[in-house]
Amino acid sequence: MVFSDWNLIAPDWRWVGLQNFLEALQSRRVQQAFLSSFRFMIFVVPLGLAVSLAIALLVNSLKRFQGLFAVGFFLPYLASGVAVSLVVRGALAFNSPVGRFFLNNFGYVPDWLGNPWLAILIISLMIVWKFSGYYALIFLAGLQSIPKELYEAAQIDGASSWRTFWSITLPMLYPALYSVLILMVGLMFGIFTEPYVLTKGGPDLATHTWHLEIYYQAFSALRSGYATAISTLNALAVFITVMIVRRIMERWGRNLGWVD
Amino acid sequence: MARLQAMLGRKPVVAVPARRIVWRRYAKEGLKYLLAVAGVLVAVTPYLYMVLHSLAPWNEVNRRFIPTELTLRSYEWLLQGSRTVAPKPWLRALLNSAIVTAGSTFLMVVCGLVVGYALSRLRFRGQQTVYNIILFQMFYPAIVLLVPTFLIVRALGLYDTYWGMIVPKAVSLWAIFMFTSFFKSIPQDIIDAARIDGLSELGIVFRIALPMSIPITTVITLFLFMERWSELLWDLIIVQDENLMTLNVLIATMSGPYGNYPGGLYAASVILTLPILILFLIFSKYFRQGFQLVLK
Repeated sequence: MVFSDWNLIAPDWRWVGLQNFLEALQSRRVQQAFLSSFRFMIFVVPLGLAVSLAIALLVNSLKRFQGLFAVGFFLPYLASGVAVSLVVRGALAFNSPVGRFFLNNFGYVPDWLGNPWLAILIISLMIVWKFSGYYALIFLAGLQSIPKELYEAAQIDGASSWRTFWSITLPMLYPALYSVLILMVGLMFGIFTEPYVLTKGGPDLATHTWHLEIYYQAFSALRSGYATAISTLNALAVFITVMIVRRIMERWGRNLGWVD
Repeated sequence: MARLQAMLGRKPVVAVPARRIVWRRYAKEGLKYLLAVAGVLVAVTPYLYMVLHSLAPWNEVNRRFIPTELTLRSYEWLLQGSRTVAPKPWLRALLNSAIVTAGSTFLMVVCGLVVGYALSRLRFRGQQTVYNIILFQMFYPAIVLLVPTFLIVRALGLYDTYWGMIVPKAVSLWAIFMFTSFFKSIPQDIIDAARIDGLSELGIVFRIALPMSIPITTVITLFLFMERWSELLWDLIIVQDENLMTLNVLIATMSGPYGNYPGGLYAASVILTLPILILFLIFSKYFRQGFQLVLK
C-alpha cells in the first residue's frame, strides 16, 4: 500500500514506488507535523514532569487521605478529549469570562487560538492537565518503594530536606522518571483529539500533528497510499526520538551515578 | 528529633517553647492539605465549568463563570431540538457508546485473560516467539495500521456497523501483557491441583485464575473501558450513519455546525462524562490496590 496511489474507491491502482515517501518528505504539512511534536514537547515535558512530581511528593507527604487525594488528582485522566476541548474553546471564546478578565485587567484579549505559540501552549496545558495525575501515580508508586532506612540515615547525617531530595529521592525515582519520560515523548507523536476540535491544525499548521495529517490525507483527500507512507514516517520518527531520549537518559543516569 | 539536630549542631540551638514547635508542625501539615485541596480543585475546574454551563440560561453560557440561575433548557434541547433545528439522536448515541464500549471492553478482557493464561501457563511451540511479537507490537505505533485496518474492515462489510467499531478493538495487547505477567505469579501448585481435579484449561482460567486476580482485572477493565469510551479517531472514520455514532463522535462532529449551541453541547458532554466518572468512583477502592500491581 505504501507504494501505491490508490484512493480507497477506484477499482485499480498504480505502483508508484518511493514517490509517496519523496512527496511526504517534501510536503510542508508533513514537516510541520514533525516539528509540532517537538513544539508540544518543549512545554509538555518540563511542565508535565514538574507538576506530576510535585503532586506525587505532596500526596506522599500527607499523613491521611492519601488515596482520596490520589484519586482526586487522577480525575482529569477520565475526561474525554472532546468534552475538555469544548470547555476550553468555550472558556476562551469572545466575550467569555476568561476574555473579560483579561480585558478588565490588562486592557486587551489575546487571540488564544489564533496565535501559533499560544495555541501550542494551550493544547500543551490541556495535555499536562489530563496526564499529570496519571504520571503522579507512577511517581507515587516509585516514592513508596524507597526504603525508609535511607531517609533515616540521611536524617542522622543531618542532611537538609533539599539535599535529601537530590541525593535520595530523585536517584531512587530514576526508573519511574525514565518510564514517564518515554511515555510523554511517545504521546507527543500521537496527538489528535485536541487540535481536531480546537484548531484543525492551525494557525498556519502550527498545531498540525501527525495524526491530523494522516486522517486528512486518508479520509478527506482519499489518498490512502500516501497516508500510509506518512504513518510509516510517523512510526520511524517515534522510534528514533524515543531511542535518542533513552540514550540521553541512560548516559545522564550513568554520569550522575544513579544507575550502573 | 529536634534535640538530635541540636546535638549535631546543624540548627542553631535556640530554646523554643515546646508548644510553639507543635503549633508550627500543625501549621505545616495544614498548609499541605490546603495545597492538596487547591490542586484537586484546579484539576476538577473544567468539569465544574462544564456542569455549571450545561445548566446555565443560554444567554449566560460562556459569558459569566457562575450563572445567575439554573435551568434544564440545554437538556431539553438535546431531547427535543428547537423550532429551527431537529433534535439529534443524542440518547441513541449514548446507547451506542455503551454498546460499543461494553462489547469491546468485554472482548478485550476475555481475550487478555485467555491469551495471557496461555502465554504464561501453557507450554507450546513458538510460545516465546508469540510473546515477543506481542511485546514488539505493543511498542509499535498503531497508527501505521489505521488505513489497512480500515480497508480490511470495509472489505468484511462492517463499515457503518457496530461490529466495525467493536471487532478491530477487541484485542488489547496491553491487557494480554498485563495478564501474562500477573499469571506468572500464581503458584503452579494451584493450577496443577485444578488439572488433577479435572478442570479444563478454560475452566482454570475462569474458575481459578480470574477469581485470584480480581483487583488487577478491575483496574485493567477500568482502563480499557475509559480508553474505549473516549476513542475518537477510529469511531470517526468507520461510521457515517448518525444513528450509529458514539456520543463522543456525535459531539465532535456537531461542534462545528452547532457552534451556536454551546449550552447543548455542554449538556451532551456532561452526559458523556458522568457514566465514566461514576464507574471510576465506584471502583476507586480497588483502583489503588490494583494500580500498584499494574506498575510492577
